[in-house]
Amino acid sequence: MIAQLRQSLRALEKPAGIDTDAGCLPFGVPAIDAALAGGLARGALHEIAAAGEAHLAAAAGFALGLAPSGARLVWIAEDMALAESGAPYGPGLDAFGLAPERLLTVAAAHQRDLLWAMEEALRCRAVAVVIGELRHGAIDPVAVRRLSLAAAQGGALALLLRGSPPHDASTAATRWIVSAAPSSPSPGWGGSPSEARRDGVAYDKKSSPPPVRLRSASADDLPLSGGGERESCFAVQLTRNRRGPLGAWTLQWSDDDERFVPATHAQPVAAPAADRPHRKVA
Amino acid sequence: MLSLWLRRLPIDRIERLRERTTAPLVVYGKRGNAELLTAIDDAAERLGLTPGVALAQARAMHPGIEAIAEDAEADSQLLDNIADWCLRYTPLVACYPPDGLLLDISGCAHLYGGEDALVADLSGRLEKAGLAYRIAIAGTIGAAWAAAHHGAPGSYRCGEERALLSPLPLAALRLEPGTVAALARVGLKRIGDMIDLPRAPLTARFGPELLRQLDRALGQEHEPLNPRLPVAPYVAEQRFAEPIAREQDVLASVARLAGRLKLALERRGDGARRIELTLFRTDGEVRRLAAGTSRPLRNPAAIRALFVERLHALSDALDPGFGFDMARLSVLTAEPCPARDQAEWVPVSRPDRAQNYKDRTRSDAKPVPTFADRVLVQIGIGGAEDQTELDRLVDRLSARLGARRVRQLIAQDSHIPEIAGACMPAQMTGTDNGWDAFRRYRAQAELSPRPLRLLTRPEPIEAVAEVPDGPPLRFRWRRALHEVIAAEGPERIEGAWWSEHGGPARDYFRVEDKAGLRFWLFRAGLYRDLAQGAAAPSWFLHGTFA
Repeated sequence: MIAQLRQSLRALEKPAGIDTDAGCLPFGVPAIDAALAGGLARGALHEIAAAGEAHLAAAAGFALGLAPSGARLVWIAEDMALAESGAPYGPGLDAFGLAPERLLTVAAAHQRDLLWAMEEALRCRAVAVVIGELRHGAIDPVAVRRLSLAAAQGGALALLLRGSPPHDASTAATRWIVSAAPSSPSPGWGGSPSEARRDGVAYDKKSSPPPVRLRSASADDLPLSGGGERESCFAVQLTRNRRGPLGAWTLQWSDDDERFVPATHAQPVAAPAADRPHRKVA
Repeated sequence: MLSLWLRRLPIDRIERLRERTTAPLVVYGKRGNAELLTAIDDAAERLGLTPGVALAQARAMHPGIEAIAEDAEADSQLLDNIADWCLRYTPLVACYPPDGLLLDISGCAHLYGGEDALVADLSGRLEKAGLAYRIAIAGTIGAAWAAAHHGAPGSYRCGEERALLSPLPLAALRLEPGTVAALARVGLKRIGDMIDLPRAPLTARFGPELLRQLDRALGQEHEPLNPRLPVAPYVAEQRFAEPIAREQDVLASVARLAGRLKLALERRGDGARRIELTLFRTDGEVRRLAAGTSRPLRNPAAIRALFVERLHALSDALDPGFGFDMARLSVLTAEPCPARDQAEWVPVSRPDRAQNYKDRTRSDAKPVPTFADRVLVQIGIGGAEDQTELDRLVDRLSARLGARRVRQLIAQDSHIPEIAGACMPAQMTGTDNGWDAFRRYRAQAELSPRPLRLLTRPEPIEAVAEVPDGPPLRFRWRRALHEVIAAEGPERIEGAWWSEHGGPARDYFRVEDKAGLRFWLFRAGLYRDLAQGAAAPSWFLHGTFA
């Protein structure tokens, strides 16, 4: 009964003229899927903001992680963003589980060009995910609305990547704030002094401990092969959600499954709000 | 062959820009160590001055003259502009610096109603622009040039070259001044004097250039014309009785011209890869807009759509002035294209795109797939139709933003990280771009992870390492201090040792700081290779991980 009502409500909320439900992309994390009523809605705009400039790489990684593997991606960024945070790097994307040949990067000179290019890309049926990177500045709510409509028409996933947590109101379906989280120490590592002794340089045990190694090293000189790898962790916060409650989670990118999983060393976070606290009872 | 000589180009250029004065005007330039007059106007000519006279001498004779230094660059710019503008008569226009143009009007003159009508049209326009000119038409470049510069301007038929050239001075053969003077010393002043002389002694004495120029002028040896712009394999043009100025009209004429080009392209099974629209303004300005495509194209609507984007991208408006009186659409690069590819192009123009899209989605509406698990979505993962759609997107973006801004990643066979992954304009890349080979290599070599984003240039950081060869303990990047809590490495990547500028070997580390940020750092140079007393190797940050 309630499910039916929700369904009809969702149908009413849809902009006129768009009759196909584009479906959604499940996260694979039950808690998040529950909050999102099934998964990240396709055919909608989602804002992903980095907690700060430094966390932009993590936010970009989170955005790329949302893309289904094998999907056609368009990454649109301003010239300045590409110069400051670096351009997407093919071998790295490949290691992240995305096919680099399916990524189209577009450098826009201004925000205006960027928004135009995003709209064009969203209208193209061959594109599954469009990522627009907007480092600085506010974005016109009209532009956000236009992007949402374009996404709804094309059925693609529109992701707006922002350099800092925005405070403005938005018509985006969801808004996430992403920051990098310390990765979990996998069992069985914690650098042994012998590893640090190479080329005849002795390591003094009494000084502060050396940086631990990400992988358990073998006795070889280059401790690179084999061993358990530390996987990237993300602290994500869902601060706006048109379909359900908000929440905060710590996720971990699983290289083997190429999807997010709840971090094994989940740090205590505030309990996710059961309802939207900002919405007052009339 | 039409030769146009703008005999007072520097003077005309200066006078176009300012109000007419009564003082005689001369233009001077440095030749060797002397300042000589290079161009003079009519008033100065009446005073008895000629080009080549020293400026000091001219000033002494006539203190009232106005002398302006020459500006060769502006002159050649003006000549280029006039050459562009002459493209309305023929696509084969060559500059003959410093002040001449050569137009190959074979097969073009009848479009204007004959050679005389063409010359009348050209003269009228030149007069309106305030340029002094001499025009001659002859069968060969040499004869036309000689007639324009030294003979009576006019139109000469093929075969009349001998009669035309005979009375002209030898300088009309475009010879070195030294050769002309040497010929004058032996009493040869006119072309007619030497036309029938035995050839061997002439060559022996004056070199092969003399007879080559004579043969070329007489049409006995071919002289190639070197056009200023490459000649397009396919051209369609339209002249307007009434100049057009509105963008819609320009686009409509693009569509019309593209329709004509399509017929020509189809006949030879070609498609356009690069298309140029040339608009001729009534006042002589020429606008050229080019658009590229990622696959051979001949659909008029698709070509029009490209120019819609191209016109939108102009920073200044099209600026039609008093209107365009001619438009030309040329295919600069054509490639073979199978007919069936073209059928898939759906002509969609800006206003009706949304409508069209809806129609298409309805016609091939599929049941909404259920997403029980993380499934591959049906949109955007392949199929020929998707490729076509994507090519159209690439073309639109490239037309508006510029082809170099729309890029695709390619894998290159190199162990140096910044070379291994590179960017290429998407219109120039294929479908695979070497990533299949890269994946095989990565699996085989067990390549350690690479960063998601790579800085264009590695940025220097201040790093403190526990042991010289070990990972850094902390480092400062862009003024922020990062405490390293975990590190992986080193991965040693040698520089390009075979090259002089290959750079030192690098030890790459993947580090994580307290906040969980992950970086890719390297130390440029190894301690073991350091010379005695040299500074320690420096550290750089090269990329960031997710």
